[in-house]
Amino acid sequence: MASDIPGTKEAREVLKKHKIVIAGVGETEQGKIPDRSSFHFLSQASKLAIEDAGIKKTDVDGLVTAFSLVEHTFMHCTTFADYFGMKPKFFTSVAIGGATAVWMAAEAAMAIASGQAEVVLCVRGDNTLSGISSSGMLALIREMCHGEFEFPYGLTTPGGYALAAQRYLHDYGATREQLAAVAVTMRKHAALKENAMNKDPLTIEEVINSRIIAEPLTKYDCSIISDGGAAFIVTTEAKAKELGIENGLAYLLGMGQGYSHQYMTTLENLDQIYNAINRSGQKAFQTAGLGVDDVDLAYLYDCFTITVLLELEGLGFVPKGEGGAFALEGRMEIGKDLPVNTHGGLLSQAHLGAMHHVVEATLQLRGDAGPRQVGDAEVAIVHGNGGIVSAHSTILLGKEPLS
Amino acid sequence: MAEEKTYNKPLPDFRPETKPYWEGCKNHALVLPRSKETGKFFFYPRAMSPGDDMSEDIEWVEASGKATVWTYAIHHMGPSKAYKGDPPYVVALVEMEEGVKMMTNIIDVDPHDVYIGMEVEVVYDDITDEVTLPKFKPVK
Repeated sequence: MASDIPGTKEAREVLKKHKIVIAGVGETEQGKIPDRSSFHFLSQASKLAIEDAGIKKTDVDGLVTAFSLVEHTFMHCTTFADYFGMKPKFFTSVAIGGATAVWMAAEAAMAIASGQAEVVLCVRGDNTLSGISSSGMLALIREMCHGEFEFPYGLTTPGGYALAAQRYLHDYGATREQLAAVAVTMRKHAALKENAMNKDPLTIEEVINSRIIAEPLTKYDCSIISDGGAAFIVTTEAKAKELGIENGLAYLLGMGQGYSHQYMTTLENLDQIYNAINRSGQKAFQTAGLGVDDVDLAYLYDCFTITVLLELEGLGFVPKGEGGAFALEGRMEIGKDLPVNTHGGLLSQAHLGAMHHVVEATLQLRGDAGPRQVGDAEVAIVHGNGGIVSAHSTILLGKEPLS
Repeated sequence: MAEEKTYNKPLPDFRPETKPYWEGCKNHALVLPRSKETGKFFFYPRAMSPGDDMSEDIEWVEASGKATVWTYAIHHMGPSKAYKGDPPYVVALVEMEEGVKMMTNIIDVDPHDVYIGMEVEVVYDDITDEVTLPKFKPVK
């Protein structure tokens, strides 16, 4: 456990003073939607979030976007501002892979706290499933590894995670069934969400016997690819009141990042990954003055089953090597010890980075999660990882502000 | 007519500073970069030592070519059509005797006989007339 991390006291004061909140969310239809462009999804998700907050488009004065895997643009945020027809006072794009969505919220908070904007639209959308060409897919695989010293050996993206998974199974004596249990839980949760891509029941045997992609990982250990958009609006409690926003608010209680490596070649051992996850989480926890026992809901980046176990353990919810047993015992399910990804995650709902993780955490804290609602949820953690478990970001969201 | 060598898989994206490494491979010698200032090996090759020394004074040292498998993934799908017929193949991270890790393929072995800790040694695959990839096979 990390001792006092520099900067957390100051961060706490800033968040306490400004009472940063997520005040609106939007998600478009997710799935295979072949007739819509990346920028179409971005526009639709933005509109839905603005409408959810009950504000006007002109009330938004800040914009944080990410990137597109289909339409590559040099300046993504301003390309979208032009398409959508807005003139933000603050604009930036975050491009740290799966760590992006979580950090978009942090970026918005920092902009608000430093007076750059008051109402920041954070939006991501892409037609990844329908729009990506085979050369585009190859370029994506190429970007996930070192183009000179890794890619020539035929490494794929699932292969990169399989390298981590294989070592994890070796170091901790974890089992194939334990990995599979993560996918099974995500599928159970997706079945409760209307806007989810894969809802058919899934068993551990079906996961293990599905098409082998890169041993030890099979098809259902890998996240889905989808088309769609999602957005959330970050502002302050005071501004939300001024604008007459009636939604329940999700307060930002803490945030942090942790970096391990970019390329698997430079990874020394699994502890390097755990330390990066822990650092990211501890920065958020210490800022919030909270610990793992205070967390009611966890939104963990589940691009592959292995990442959920590494994050559960790295964040400190269970000791190293014990995430698998936790998953296999069903303890990540709604109604159990620690509900994880109540919307079905990247493994079953849709893949838009951690956008839906942030949206779902907000809906839960608002009490708007319908059949998935975890009744007494007061604190949620959202953790994203980019690269091959290499770059990490964490936020803590709460039903009540820091006191 | 002489048989023409065709290689459709991705070739390394060369950076100028890695030339000694690839020239070594072409001559069937595995040379690793080492900071002259700290005496520490590093991999992948860079123009500057990634250590605190930030030194550009780099020497290239021939490695023993002996390594152990640190982890591996048996690929049943390649990144593109160019890999058709290859799977299952093994992509591994091996720990060199010199202490650095490198990514490679483990060849000349049934993929399911590979294990973490397996002792392997370098072999050279001349994939084109110009480019040689160091790969590894089990030590007999």
